[in-house]
Amino acid sequence: MKKNYLFTVSIIVAILILSAVSIFVGAFDVSLSGILSGDYKQLIILLNSRLPRVFAALCVGSGMSVAGLIMQNLCMNKFVSPTTGATISSAQLGIVISMLMLPGASLATRSTFSFIFSILGTWLFVWFIQKIQIKDVVMVPLIGIMFNSVIGGLVSYIAYENDLTQILSNLLVGDFSLILAGRYEIVFLILPLLIISFIYSNYFNIVGMGENFSNNLGVNYKFIMFLGLSITAIITASVVVTVGTISYIGLIIPNIVSMYKGDKIRKSLLDVALFGAMFVLLCDLIGRIVIRPFELPIELISGIIGSVIFIVMLFARLNHGRRLNKKGVSHAKKIISPK
Amino acid sequence: MQKKLSLLNKLQLLSLIAICFVFIYQFIFVDWNFFEYAMYIRTPKLIAIIICSFCIGYASMIFQSIINNRIVTPSLLGMNSLYILIHTSLVFFVGLDNPLVLNKNLTFMIDVLLMAILTIVIYGFLFKKTRYNILYILLSGTVLGTLFSSISNTMIRVLDPNEYDTLLTELVAGFDHVNTDLIMISILLIVLVFVIFFRDLKILDVLSLGRTQTINLGVDYDKSILKLLLCVSFLITIATALVGPISFLGLIAANLTREIFKTYKHVYLMLGSFLVGLIVLLGGQILIEHIFGFSTQISALVNLFGGAYFLYLILKNKGV
Amino acid sequence: MEVKNLNKFYGSKQVVENVSFELPKNKVISFIGPNGAGKSTVLNIMTRLISSDSGQVLLENKDLKKWNSKELAKKIAILTQTNHITAKLTVAELVAFGRFPYSGSNLNKEDRKHINMAIEYMELQDFKNRFIDELSGGQRQRVFIAMVLAQDTEYIFLDEPTNNLDIYHSSNMMKLVRRLCDDLNKTVTLVLHEINFASAYSDYIGAFKNGKLYKFDTVHEVMTKDNLKSLYNVNFDITDFNGKPISIYY
Repeated sequence: MKKNYLFTVSIIVAILILSAVSIFVGAFDVSLSGILSGDYKQLIILLNSRLPRVFAALCVGSGMSVAGLIMQNLCMNKFVSPTTGATISSAQLGIVISMLMLPGASLATRSTFSFIFSILGTWLFVWFIQKIQIKDVVMVPLIGIMFNSVIGGLVSYIAYENDLTQILSNLLVGDFSLILAGRYEIVFLILPLLIISFIYSNYFNIVGMGENFSNNLGVNYKFIMFLGLSITAIITASVVVTVGTISYIGLIIPNIVSMYKGDKIRKSLLDVALFGAMFVLLCDLIGRIVIRPFELPIELISGIIGSVIFIVMLFARLNHGRRLNKKGVSHAKKIISPK
Repeated sequence: MQKKLSLLNKLQLLSLIAICFVFIYQFIFVDWNFFEYAMYIRTPKLIAIIICSFCIGYASMIFQSIINNRIVTPSLLGMNSLYILIHTSLVFFVGLDNPLVLNKNLTFMIDVLLMAILTIVIYGFLFKKTRYNILYILLSGTVLGTLFSSISNTMIRVLDPNEYDTLLTELVAGFDHVNTDLIMISILLIVLVFVIFFRDLKILDVLSLGRTQTINLGVDYDKSILKLLLCVSFLITIATALVGPISFLGLIAANLTREIFKTYKHVYLMLGSFLVGLIVLLGGQILIEHIFGFSTQISALVNLFGGAYFLYLILKNKGV
Repeated sequence: MEVKNLNKFYGSKQVVENVSFELPKNKVISFIGPNGAGKSTVLNIMTRLISSDSGQVLLENKDLKKWNSKELAKKIAILTQTNHITAKLTVAELVAFGRFPYSGSNLNKEDRKHINMAIEYMELQDFKNRFIDELSGGQRQRVFIAMVLAQDTEYIFLDEPTNNLDIYHSSNMMKLVRRLCDDLNKTVTLVLHEINFASAYSDYIGAFKNGKLYKFDTVHEVMTKDNLKSLYNVNFDITDFNGKPISIYY
């Protein structure tokens, strides 16, 4: 118990340090003394660019991680996430279609389209994987990636045909450099969603055990499933609308945390959120430091780190499965594979 | 009706269609006043497309037999992203204006060599480690693909943060900027590959019986797999260097061919896969250039339909 | 064929421990033993499907590893239980693959003779042009045996050939094994789970336990109450049926 507490506290400390560094790193010098002495220029930069950037990173990191956590529980599969489900690409599709149908659409309109599409896309994906009785756990992410490729192909097609390629590259490669006060506040929508997730966390756990199990405990399976997937989709969409696509965070963070904390969502949700926020802050910092004064988009950094961790996870699972099979126990498989 | 056609008939029919498409592509809407100019523009591209479909068709078929699965193709496992990564790293480490990089043929040779080594190391390891478990190979392959392209993207941005787009088109070929300088050396390399690996290609039929039976029938399995993998690596390098990555072409070509021919004989399968790939590419290109009017890239369309086809195959077979 | 001091490890676990024996010619030899005793592993090593960590397998006094792989394929043939084939093949085409070690893909007159003989021997004439994925499990098994026959080897190895077959097909399979040995002078080695099949149809039995060769002898020597009890940790009764020891356990 005490050890768990320590984990949480050390992450919070790390987040505070990283946020401070993040505020003072950039093309324009901002210093503590400058701000305190009331330097107008420095204050403007701080309020319009640096602080929004830190807030956005915190929201995006915690949101994407929790979205992944919920999705993994509801689908009973550790390899599912907005990236390896159809959620991210559906959110992109929503944005592209809103721009196609209503040129010059406001951020709010775009977000609404994105929400609707990502909810529908996620539902379609979950329906598909439940429909083809899947034999192996890793089949699900594979199908998810293919879904992404199909929807992604559609997105690029629409973008190319309608001269939206500039928007396309912003959409596909997540980047914090465009975050400015007044243009990113949609990500704060993530905060109430995190709170709702926390309140319903026990329900998500129960629904993750299966339809019969939930009915037995008097939990409305369909409603909770709908709620959980919708929360995931809205979080993802609000990230895509403001920063663009960020892959793998929802996939790896919950897995890393669950190694320490186990799979009880109520116990791990806070840590997942904090750890995700820290990870995104860190990736963003790396991206800003490597080729100063230029920036690397966060999507590249998280793509590299994330895919490496994902492959490591995959091989760990392979060895793990083999060991279990040798013992004649396929218990783990029963737990994580959908029925 | 279809059933009565012999394998040879089917091949002839496909060739006929392919040749028709070649002519349509070459001469459709040609402005006869500028005939020579049009040919000058179209011919190299046509040759590049033919070479590309040849390489992808053959490579996909060979690869599918190596791992004994119909849904996996080398491009799905990120092999073309690996080539792009190698090429980008080369430029990244020696510099853009290095004489080595300016000589396109020389760079290509080095790429081919590095690609061969890395293919063997990475995919050989992947096969061994997963013990030919298709699902794991496929999933880690696709993720490796993202990893490779993230790294090469990063390198291009670091190389020149301002001119990212220009540099990208320069380093990675595409259908709107085919790498015509490499056509000669590609043809040479293909001939060389077939001379060297001719004997190994003959065991492909046996390979479709699975590892045990292949060994039982007197084939040195590990060595042959290695050689065939090398062969695949060369072909994919050529295709990607010429026209850039098209992930799902191999999947479409190989599976349609298997549907059409319904045989295990690789002589037919490989040729068929080449022709089907060519028909798909040329057909798509004719549609895009003359009907949609150029703005869409064919790779986007191929990925759209290829991904859908993949999902259909999974749904149909209830698994990989 | 002779096996000398075979050892095989999976990680730190030793699955084959110091196994040595000589395979008698023109006999049927069955390997029996509980699950994980190493019998299949030994069979796989003897047919170069997996390599041993130490020890040798000698064929005509020459180490298996030193044989040319094509030549070896003319001497020994192996059929495992998993013969999942994705390729679209007809029966005749699959059987023809048995001639691959001899002529590659270009069949000559001699090859065709062997292929036809194998098909006739396995009574597959009526199926000749059917695709193998349209056949039943028992029929498919016979097609594979026909392929192995076309391969025309001295030694035939079968890994659990009766697995997934019902009683009728299993006993037919065992009768066929007997005929391969008696009519065609093959040396047939097989891994079996049903000890009474092993007893009724083989000449020799190799009994494995915990990776070691517990006993390698004639059927009557191995099939005793005491031997079986210490092999399987179950009480056995042995009765005599047509001169063969048959075990009863419950």
